[in-house]
Amino acid sequence: MPRIVVDGRAIDAAGGQSVIEAARAHGIDIPHFCWHPSLSVAGSCRVCVVEVEGRGLDIACNLPATEGMQVFTDSPAVRERRREMLELTLLNHPVDCGICDKAGECTLQDYHYAHNGAASASGERKVRATKFHALSDRIVLDNERCILCSRCVRFTHEVSKSHGLGILHRGDGSLLRETGDGAFARDPYSDNVLDVCPVGALLSRSSLYRARVWYLQPTRSVCPGCARGCPVDLWHRKPEWRLNALDPAKNRAIVRVTPRDDGRPEGPWICNKGRDLAALFERPRAMQAMLHGRAVPLDVAIDAAADLIDSSKTRIALVSSWASNEELAAFKDALGERFTTFVKEDHRPLPGETIEDDFLIRADKNPNATAAAALFPVRGKPMSAAPSGQPPDLVLAWGEGFDARGLPDGARAIVLDAYGHADHARADVFIPLSIQTERAGHYTNFQGVVRAFDACFDKPASVADAQELFAALAVGARVPA
Amino acid sequence: MSASPTFASLVPEFDALRRRFPPGFESSLVLPCLRRLQEAWGHVEDSDIAALAEYLAVPRVQIEEALSFYGQLRREPVGRWHVEVCRNVSCSLRGAETLLERLSSKLGLAPGDTSADGRFTLSTCECLGSCGTAPVVLVNGVYHENASAPEIERMIEGLERA
Repeated sequence: MPRIVVDGRAIDAAGGQSVIEAARAHGIDIPHFCWHPSLSVAGSCRVCVVEVEGRGLDIACNLPATEGMQVFTDSPAVRERRREMLELTLLNHPVDCGICDKAGECTLQDYHYAHNGAASASGERKVRATKFHALSDRIVLDNERCILCSRCVRFTHEVSKSHGLGILHRGDGSLLRETGDGAFARDPYSDNVLDVCPVGALLSRSSLYRARVWYLQPTRSVCPGCARGCPVDLWHRKPEWRLNALDPAKNRAIVRVTPRDDGRPEGPWICNKGRDLAALFERPRAMQAMLHGRAVPLDVAIDAAADLIDSSKTRIALVSSWASNEELAAFKDALGERFTTFVKEDHRPLPGETIEDDFLIRADKNPNATAAAALFPVRGKPMSAAPSGQPPDLVLAWGEGFDARGLPDGARAIVLDAYGHADHARADVFIPLSIQTERAGHYTNFQGVVRAFDACFDKPASVADAQELFAALAVGARVPA
Repeated sequence: MSASPTFASLVPEFDALRRRFPPGFESSLVLPCLRRLQEAWGHVEDSDIAALAEYLAVPRVQIEEALSFYGQLRREPVGRWHVEVCRNVSCSLRGAETLLERLSSKLGLAPGDTSADGRFTLSTCECLGSCGTAPVVLVNGVYHENASAPEIERMIEGLERA
């Protein structure tokens, strides 16, 4: 384990680590553009320049840490070279931060403020290039802003393996381009290039110009798109920047989704389905409690459901595989003994969706089937008959994907769902629920990893929180079953 | 004229080339294969890109990158006579810019264009490694050194009659 000295501080580098990696592991950040902790070394931006005693200037990303090395990250020679490299990077970069979505979280902007700050020394006209090149129907490229660090190209070679991007032509005519065979448009992980881009060259077409990043805040969450349960950040407007004019729905909108790097072995990546969670969460909601399709106040519906539970004999529950660990436990505690419980598959793969691959995407399109199956291990066809042999006279269906046509003759139905569906009006009792962005909880993924999510928004008053609802349904039981 | 060669007809040559490289160096074969393809039919067809990517088992993007990086490699057919004028430092200092303008008006073509009858293509090119005899004009790969405008124009007239 070589010991190196960085700016007078002795640190132990792990075997095979470069200077930039060793420094980073000890909280010393050396500026860099083309280097990325999850990608190979390109060594093209030269911004991570450091001075090594007895050796002079070198780039920290490609410099193995060796015993006794004395490294200076901010000596006068380093500062001068870094300033020159930034000047070169900015030679053809437009100053359009005012209309750039990346402004506020742009590495180039940050480094320019921190390490250069000077106006361009060049009197030459900047090279003009394509401002809006559609790399795919998801991503737009601004070639003037691109600094040719090649992080996105390496991502498609090394991580997603679609080989869908390349740098064509040469010199100041170099252009990032997609291949002619559409490999990038088909890459189910393509949106990760938005995060690896250190500047505002690669932009999401779905969030383009929707918000300045400093009006947004991230909320810790877990992608419910499949059994992998990737850790994500959901970005929405900060409360102090809430819009009083315009559409109030904008204050409750997810503007973008980014991976949340919790150090998991899969790396800081998510698939494109995870980027589109806003569309998944913002589908038409069920907001109104109903008895046989007739709108009633929420508490009336809860009372009616409790009465139905009390008055029935053979009860079957289909629990949601989108429910949190806490909600599943609440159901088991409050009602578990009174129901024969099965786990329902809320979501199945959609047409055109990647079913499964050998990277992140899992065939089970529900986030918490593992926890649900552990709590409710009953297997078999729920609707045919309860294990007692009696056909059920009450079915409680929780979550999406319930087919009311499968209901046995004469059975009553309590349906709990967050999203709107025409079948809800046919239920004896329908109770609308909160969605993931309106509550906190945990999911257990297929590997048994438990991840937490927090609430982004308040729950609307007309919908119930499942965790509290089950306690209320149990308390409502006036006659013991 | 013999029938135009197909990708398959060049595969034996590619196989021979491949034996000269250690295994795992398929990407080093991209350039010689592209040169051979262009030599065979004047430019590299889009279908050749897919065929070569499959033959070498390299990502298609690597071939597209090489094709666009090297100005000598073409994806479009050129005319019967391909006139290229070097535009690098030595040739420019010795009058290549004027030469290019004269050729452009003589042929009625902007650099990069091919005449409607398919007889002439006018291009600029990068250094031909003959700075001592600048300016240099290349006609179908043949060097015309210390080129002067009247001399090149006379040669063009000869080609027009040919």
